[in-house]
Amino acid sequence: MKIFITILLKELISFFRSFGLVILVIYFFTAEVYVAATGVEIEAKNVALGVVDKSAGGISKKILSNLHSPEFKTPKFYKSQKELSDAIYNKNIMVGMVFDEQFEKNYYKKLHPTVNILIDSTTASQSLMAIGYIQNIVMKFNNLKLPVELKMHKLFNQNAETKIFMGVSELLSVITLLTTILTAIAFVKEKESGTWDIMLLMPVNPKMIILAKSLSQIIIIMIGVVLSVGLVLFHSLDVPINGNLLHFFILTFFYVATTAGIGLFIAAVSKNIMQISQLSIVIMMPIIFLSGAWTPIYAMHPLLQYLSALAPLSYYIEGCQSIFFRGTSFIDLLPYFGGVLFLGVILYWYGFRKIGKLF
Amino acid sequence: MRLRVIKAYFLKEMIELIRTKMITMPYLMPLLIVILFGYGIKMQVTGVRTLILDNDNSQISRKLILKFEHSKYFTTMVKNISEKDGLREIKKANIDALIIIPSSFEKNSLKGIKTEIGVFTDASFPSRATTISNYIQGVILDLANDFNIDDSGVININTRNLFNQALRDEEMIVPGLLGMVLLISPAILTALIIAKEKEMGTIFNFYSSSVSKGEFLVAKLSSIFFLVSINIFIVFLVASYLFDLPFRGSFFLFWLASEFYVFVALGFGLLVSIIASSQIVAIIVTLMLTIIPAFMYSGMIMPISSMSGEAFITAHIYPVMYYNHIIYDTFLIGQGFSSSTNILYLLLLFTYGVILFILGLLFLKKEIK
Amino acid sequence: MLEIKNLAVSHKKKIAIKKLNFQVNDGEIIGFIGADGAGKSSALNAIAGVIKFDGEIIYNDFSYKSPKEAEKVKHDIGYMPQGIGLVLYDTLTIKEHINFFVDIRDIKINKEFLEYKEHLLIMAGLENFLDRRAGDLSGGMMQKLSLVCTMLHRPKLLILDEPTTGVDPLSRIELWEILKQNAKEFNTISIISTAYMGEASKMDNILLFDEGEIIAKGTSSQLIEDIKPFVYENTETDKKHISISDTTYCLENLEIKHQKPTLESLFFVNALKKDKLLPKLQIAISKENMGENIVVMKASKVTKKFGDFYANKDVDCKLKSGEILGLLGANGAGKTTFIKMLLGLLPLDGGELKLFDKKIKNSEDRNELKSQIGYVSQHFALYDDMTVRENMMFFASIHKIDTKKTKQLINSYSKELGFEQYLDEMPKSLPLGINQRFSLAVSILHEPKVLFLDEPTSGVDAIARAQFWELLKELKNKRGISILITTHYMSEAEFCDRVVLLKDGQKIADDRVDNFYKKFPDAKSFEEIFLEYYR
Repeated sequence: MKIFITILLKELISFFRSFGLVILVIYFFTAEVYVAATGVEIEAKNVALGVVDKSAGGISKKILSNLHSPEFKTPKFYKSQKELSDAIYNKNIMVGMVFDEQFEKNYYKKLHPTVNILIDSTTASQSLMAIGYIQNIVMKFNNLKLPVELKMHKLFNQNAETKIFMGVSELLSVITLLTTILTAIAFVKEKESGTWDIMLLMPVNPKMIILAKSLSQIIIIMIGVVLSVGLVLFHSLDVPINGNLLHFFILTFFYVATTAGIGLFIAAVSKNIMQISQLSIVIMMPIIFLSGAWTPIYAMHPLLQYLSALAPLSYYIEGCQSIFFRGTSFIDLLPYFGGVLFLGVILYWYGFRKIGKLF
Repeated sequence: MRLRVIKAYFLKEMIELIRTKMITMPYLMPLLIVILFGYGIKMQVTGVRTLILDNDNSQISRKLILKFEHSKYFTTMVKNISEKDGLREIKKANIDALIIIPSSFEKNSLKGIKTEIGVFTDASFPSRATTISNYIQGVILDLANDFNIDDSGVININTRNLFNQALRDEEMIVPGLLGMVLLISPAILTALIIAKEKEMGTIFNFYSSSVSKGEFLVAKLSSIFFLVSINIFIVFLVASYLFDLPFRGSFFLFWLASEFYVFVALGFGLLVSIIASSQIVAIIVTLMLTIIPAFMYSGMIMPISSMSGEAFITAHIYPVMYYNHIIYDTFLIGQGFSSSTNILYLLLLFTYGVILFILGLLFLKKEIK
Repeated sequence: MLEIKNLAVSHKKKIAIKKLNFQVNDGEIIGFIGADGAGKSSALNAIAGVIKFDGEIIYNDFSYKSPKEAEKVKHDIGYMPQGIGLVLYDTLTIKEHINFFVDIRDIKINKEFLEYKEHLLIMAGLENFLDRRAGDLSGGMMQKLSLVCTMLHRPKLLILDEPTTGVDPLSRIELWEILKQNAKEFNTISIISTAYMGEASKMDNILLFDEGEIIAKGTSSQLIEDIKPFVYENTETDKKHISISDTTYCLENLEIKHQKPTLESLFFVNALKKDKLLPKLQIAISKENMGENIVVMKASKVTKKFGDFYANKDVDCKLKSGEILGLLGANGAGKTTFIKMLLGLLPLDGGELKLFDKKIKNSEDRNELKSQIGYVSQHFALYDDMTVRENMMFFASIHKIDTKKTKQLINSYSKELGFEQYLDEMPKSLPLGINQRFSLAVSILHEPKVLFLDEPTSGVDAIARAQFWELLKELKNKRGISILITTHYMSEAEFCDRVVLLKDGQKIADDRVDNFYKKFPDAKSFEEIFLEYYR
């Protein structure tokens, strides 16, 4: 037992004394999460709108006054449809609206008033959302007989803020990548600096060495997670936590242990740090990708959906989203715990065996 | 510049890349990324798992439900459970949207009394939540329209989706991916082949001989340039045939811009290699410098026109924006050389590359640090 | 002619060379000797124009003060940095290397050059291996190839940093012949740093480096003559002196018979002059002691293959209790592979290995014996991010030594082995000699019965090396520990009881040291004796 603690301590000391590694970990858990969260805006925000208004009337102006920040920038006015078109072609604006001369007249006289909208559809999600937005605004100006009102509730994320969502997603991706790399490095570093042989010759059960080493990295990651959640998620990004934070940490711990197993596998097959970096990226990218971090699983190709069920990150992400946003109760979280644990045990055991062969 | 010297280094690089099997790197990684992301990222929202609780069971409510069922955007279920249970389904992440039709829906709406339909969306995935909300609103308003016999007063919205009529995800994402892989892969490779010599010690062959800095750089860079140039065609073929992207612009513009862009990427790698003393450092620093900007400032996820402040400035500093503009043009827009913006950006890319190369030349020192 | 004026080099805030002044004439071969870190490489780097320096270097009336200024003479310089095969590209063949260097040196290809190229290749013995990749060459061949590539453009100034370290004695002689011939034919200036005193003694002039300064200059005979009065046979005295391995050095007059000095003696005399006395290293005697003449380790026809390549082939070897066995051979001869098999770090491909009369086949067998084995690996690999003390505490804890005893051991060893003042420093910042001793301390913490040491004297200065051997003798005598030590310094054979010589994975000699002396009465050094076996 004492030997276990000795090795654990040595690993921790070794980590904290390697300046570069510490900076890297801090950077990823703080700056990286923050930048990814605030930098990516999938929403329709600040959409550059261009207008050609030949109607010279009040209705068009009223419609336009509804298209304001934060969704839209102040509209730019153009003199002709060609100018508007050019502006879109040159990517100065993303959306263009054209009200023809007859618009106002047609509206009041009920002669099928028409509004033309041109959208630059190369811009992924914004264009889709901008269309939806504008359509709904314009629709409001229709006098409809059906007095139906929609009571919209956006659950869990009132303002549907992307940065909150991205912050959590990015943190999870960081955890995944760093755990694998750090665990793998803990072993391969010894290979590179020549102390691997010394380690093999120690009169210690190799299993203990593997456990101690991987546990040390798990501890380091958990510290990073606490740092990230506290400083970045709660403090800077105002991420809500509708569920129980303790559940999050427990789930995270299991997940990190799982990922450490993958790290062990990588350590077993890598000869140097270069190979680790390559392998880690090649293995982790598809996993992060299939996990539902960027695209929800139900929206993926069926084959990919099956594969996704094999990735522990899929369960972890949905679990974390449920804890942070949906405020899901513990009982309903069990499937996530189950998924992570089940896959986790398999992956860790496999990685453990693989690296054990080297001893 | 002695051609002989350049040829010697160029040949050596080729032999080494082939024999160490590193020659697959410029091809494998980019392909992996393009295919994975190209197939994987679906910005379009379809098949939203919707649960409708119909407390009215009237003709109108059923008509509404039918509209949802017929829409490709929704995967609809109708169940007879309580609101509380319905909300729990959202919490369990089994459904994305819950629609509750009140019991007096038909009666009230026909009488002209305001009725409320409750809509709950899972906003954990905020962008999708907004889109889903918009879609649901659209369906409701569509229903409303059905009751308007006189539609002459209804504003007609003519939407033209420019450049990507079918709103295909692939057409939105894949060109942007090219901008990413053609930056990252050459940059890493260039950084590696110079850092490797430093790490192995063979850099002394350069330091102690009369090989000039220019000859050394031209040789190293040209070998990667040559390899990646082939990749430009491969990636193009993948985009066109695998993803069925149209090509509406000038191929010459595409090729020229790509070559200039690769040249810029080489410059990035070169500058990193000057400060990196080992291969691992070279990889990490290059990745940090290229991945985030290539993704965020590419215009793929967020259009540059929507950026403000620092993001706007940063986007203009990185070369990705300029290249992506031209790429989207050649695939989807089709203005080619008639657009002055395209020509401007093309020249900008070229100048960028030249500046980086000159900086590299200046900072490279033929001595041990 | 080459003139060095007030050359100073500092590297990363540490002063590598203080102020060097010397001159070399055309056609001369001069040697730099001194420990790792003494400044030899820095001086060579500066002359070759690959590092910044202060001062002035004048070559054939052209003066340069920086690498940039040195550009103008680089086409006349041939430079080989320290490290076997450092300038070679693993995946390129010999032929491709030649072509590469011919091109980057912009050599005019004419009949005369082609003859010269052939001539070089034949001298180096490489003409039949043109299609072999550099990565598949032996250490000796790599250095020969490196030298050929460095000489292709017929440089008038040849700068070689330890080109022969770790190379087998036969190849070393061949390399020397090439250099000598070259100097004679083309009047080349050759500046060579070397770890082998035997080589240095053949050169026209020797410069002795210590702590960034040249502390002695002259031919071998001159230098030896200079220190003759200070070298005596081993004796006790009250006057300030250094006694080590049968020799006593003293600056004052002693009424004792003088001993013939060697070039190594220079270092000791220098230490005396600098008032650096050596601490007396010793080991406390231990109660346990193994019986005499027990076979501790027995290897029979041990073989190890990597693909088609035999790292060890049918090696027979015995290690008895209380003896020091030297495993000698050049780099790549199979020494480290053999030790790794002994330790169970590599599985055997053939033959049988017995340790303490127990057959070792795989790691399980090895497990039981771990507590009886001590090991110091090449380059003293210990944990760089922990202090000396922390390292010792870590290893003691691993060997289940309780805290109180650990503290005791750290205290006594650090005093006995002379590294007490460095206990709280990081290994990286310590001189090699200190690392050497503390690695040794770590390896005997758990009182093993046998020690395996893999090239523990590589790169260490002559004084530290001599002290180390004294320590090993102490361990043998006072603890009865058996020691198997590998080294590429042939001269260290005289410190061992028995010697096994490996060449290309096979054993070519195995005998007691005194028997070797008997067989070759005329040989002046072990180097010469072993040369016979290499032929």
